[in-house]
Amino acid sequence: MGEVSTSMAGRVLLVLIALGSVSIHSMAQMGSSPESRFEQRRLRLMDVVSQERDRGFFTVAAKLATGRDKEFALAMLDSLTSDESMGGMFYSYMAIGTYLRLKDQLPDTLLHKIRRAYRERTMYRGDTENHWVAYYTGLYLAAQTWPNEERSQWFNGKSSAENFKESEEWLSRWMTTTATIGQGEFDSPTYFTVFITPMITLFDFAKDPVMKRKAQMTADLLLADFAAEHLDGNYCGGHSRDYPEDIINPLSAPAALWAWLYFGEPKVELWQESRYRPRYRGGWETLFGAMSSYRLPDVIYRIATDRSKAYVHTETKRVRNIIRFGREKNPPVYKYTYMTHDYALGSLQGGILQPIQQHTWDVTYRSDKPNNTIFTLHPFYSGKELAMFFPEEQKFLADDVDRYHIVYTDPRKWNSSSPYEQTFQHKNAIIVLYDIYPEANHKHIDGFFPKNLDERIDDSSGWIFCRAGSVYAAVFPLRPYEWIEEKINWRWRSADLKNGIVLEVGCSDEDGTFESFKKNVIQSKPALNSSKDDLTVNYKTRRGDAMKFTFGGKRLLNGKTVDFRAYKLFNGPFIQSERGSGVITLTDGNNVRMLNFKKATIKEWQLSKN
Amino acid sequence: MAAIKKLAPVMFLALLMGIVFSAFRPAPQEKSEGKTYYAAVFLNRGHVTGGTQSNVGLFKRAAGDTVWTNIYRRNLLSFGLGIWEGKSGRRYYIAAGNGLHRSVDGTKSWRVLTDWHTEEILSVAPDPIDSSIIYVSTPFGVFKSIDEGRHWEKKMTGMKKWFVKKVVLDVNDRKKLFAVGEDDVFRSTDSGDHWEALHAGLSDVQSFAQDPASPNHFLAGGEENGIRLTLDGGKTWQTAQGVPKESFYAITISPDGRTAYAGGFKTGLWTSTDAGMSWKLLWKNPEIEAISTIFVHKNDPSHLMIGTSGQGIYESPDAGKTWRCDGLQGCQVRQIELYP
Repeated sequence: MGEVSTSMAGRVLLVLIALGSVSIHSMAQMGSSPESRFEQRRLRLMDVVSQERDRGFFTVAAKLATGRDKEFALAMLDSLTSDESMGGMFYSYMAIGTYLRLKDQLPDTLLHKIRRAYRERTMYRGDTENHWVAYYTGLYLAAQTWPNEERSQWFNGKSSAENFKESEEWLSRWMTTTATIGQGEFDSPTYFTVFITPMITLFDFAKDPVMKRKAQMTADLLLADFAAEHLDGNYCGGHSRDYPEDIINPLSAPAALWAWLYFGEPKVELWQESRYRPRYRGGWETLFGAMSSYRLPDVIYRIATDRSKAYVHTETKRVRNIIRFGREKNPPVYKYTYMTHDYALGSLQGGILQPIQQHTWDVTYRSDKPNNTIFTLHPFYSGKELAMFFPEEQKFLADDVDRYHIVYTDPRKWNSSSPYEQTFQHKNAIIVLYDIYPEANHKHIDGFFPKNLDERIDDSSGWIFCRAGSVYAAVFPLRPYEWIEEKINWRWRSADLKNGIVLEVGCSDEDGTFESFKKNVIQSKPALNSSKDDLTVNYKTRRGDAMKFTFGGKRLLNGKTVDFRAYKLFNGPFIQSERGSGVITLTDGNNVRMLNFKKATIKEWQLSKN
Repeated sequence: MAAIKKLAPVMFLALLMGIVFSAFRPAPQEKSEGKTYYAAVFLNRGHVTGGTQSNVGLFKRAAGDTVWTNIYRRNLLSFGLGIWEGKSGRRYYIAAGNGLHRSVDGTKSWRVLTDWHTEEILSVAPDPIDSSIIYVSTPFGVFKSIDEGRHWEKKMTGMKKWFVKKVVLDVNDRKKLFAVGEDDVFRSTDSGDHWEALHAGLSDVQSFAQDPASPNHFLAGGEENGIRLTLDGGKTWQTAQGVPKESFYAITISPDGRTAYAGGFKTGLWTSTDAGMSWKLLWKNPEIEAISTIFVHKNDPSHLMIGTSGQGIYESPDAGKTWRCDGLQGCQVRQIELYP
């Protein structure tokens, strides 16, 4: 199916290319239906990637699919398959993905070289969830492509049948785990791309109809998971892993390109926009989406784009595998997101849920300007944190990590998990508390406030008021603070060990003018109880809800304890799933798509108007 | 100042000659003809998992030679090594991030024996007699195979925590094993079926050694815990004297049992000649961040090698009096062995 579809797409594309790339560009956001607009975007993407010169499988695939620079593309592929320094889990799925999509155009010599790579290179499996997904997807498809071959013909000394069985087992297990207790590397604006691309590739080429369907369901699940927390291309709220560049500029993340392709948002072509550069990590994975026969279900498109009503969406995910210093291998992560037409406020419960790159909470708002987010963090690092997740010795783990994730020990970093940070969110209000132990390496908290805010006012009431277009935010620091001017932002910094902020978000649709928002917020002032053994905040929101939050203790909403254990896997107007059920129900209010991972079935129906 | 200026060329020449002599000083006299040193390298500078700058995996250097060569997979993050020798030949093992690798043809070709059920393989201990029995340690426990690695069974009865950094066989009894767990040293007397904690008094155990000449004598090192020892097979433990309460990642006892060596994070190399009860600093090089493994030559106990956390291998021919960098600069070396 995938090959037939790709071939047809190629013919259509050639016609479109004849019209010129400029006209394709202009057509990419036009058209009468979501389907036709998607067609235009995917063809536009193929055209753009086909003009790339950087060495990579996606460049090769785009050039061959569009017929542009074919000789150059074949030479590039020859280089990719001859360079013995290349290998690993990403190579594993990209090489076979390119082979399967374009084998009809490849000379025998290159076909043999790709085959040989799976014999002579180590497709190293890696040590993260996305590594394993990429590795086993590549191995599954390679073993399927070259069945009945002996152990000597494979890099790992296992036969085709052994590799196929192992890959099938792990992929099925991972899909079930994801659909029952959640992903470990969940909701990552960066790593989303290396989950969705293998799943789409698996959907296109798995011959086993059950695996093909499960890949489709998993792609649906990943995209629906994104869609419910998506606002105009931004992946909002808390993330397991993200890079600082993406955290402070959400539309520069790879996930935004997938949003552009499938959700049609943002409207702009991100790669053309200098405000979202310099940041391009990982290349053009979206190309495989553009070339795929996978089609986004309509219901997910509407989940991603219907912001007519504000809603609360909660999720349960899981902590990445804890290998030591823990009582449980995968403790739960609780996510809370409040989504509106103009902004989203989202959070994780806090604590160490992922090493190195956690992003615990933020406000992200719809804006034409970059850096459209506000958040705070405690820049924590420790060898022991890393040793919870990596098997090396904790004393030099931090240095090892710094070599790649350069900012890990930096006191000014913008991504961090911290055992000294906890949150309590209710709709568009959040309390974030920090109880920093004296032995912490960095003893301050930082906040990111973009310089391009239209207004930022340090009010005598103690509130800091911010306005970005029609979106308003009010931040109440619990302790003294200072502002540090940086290139693109103001760094809010506070150095008290028992610390925190209260934040409320609003917009003109909810609150009228900025003045009326400020007036409503000022009427309430957070009350802090802080002693050696206690850090408690009482706060009444501008909507009248009473929040009481004790660090390490209870979260009380209007006198009732918030019990995270009651959280479902997904709970919101668009997605419902009980933990452990493996059944994910997606709805836009009119249509339902039910993914049953235990039975590997998809059911769709319309809701009765009554 | 003028005198210094006059002397400068001489000093420079002397310095240059020193460097030249140091660089071309011959390798220590080898007593290992026909054998080869193997090193398991876990990381190198510039390495990114999935990237193209890797130069890690299995390296070898012929005895008497001076160059380490990568012989298998430049991106194989390797924790440890193992060997089995018998009538049916030799089996070489690599404990690596993506599984246990085995070669039966003298390291020419390799096969991964484990699958997705085990994650990183942190160490391997092949049974010395029966090639079908293999033990490995992983972040999620000890696993055992009794059919040459076709199937694996988790062996954790008696352990409460799941992280096991290392598993080693008793020097005299192949049914006895020791496991370096997260919270203690564990011993099994029934081939891994059950484990008992030895209550070594270390909260985060990092290293363990059994005295080849006195099998009830054990040493263990911990994270920021210094070194502990027992002389009665783990019934009673005492704290070693003279060593700081730092992190000791490697402990070795010489084959003759006379000398113990220990090193860790910014500790330098320490030595003891009284069963580990008292220690003295043997050598410290400020350029070395951490010592991750120590090798003592079986036939020549004065020939030492240390693997470091990022500065390659250092070698001493004279029981630690003098040292030279032996290569693999920039590499994190996790185990060094001399194999046929």
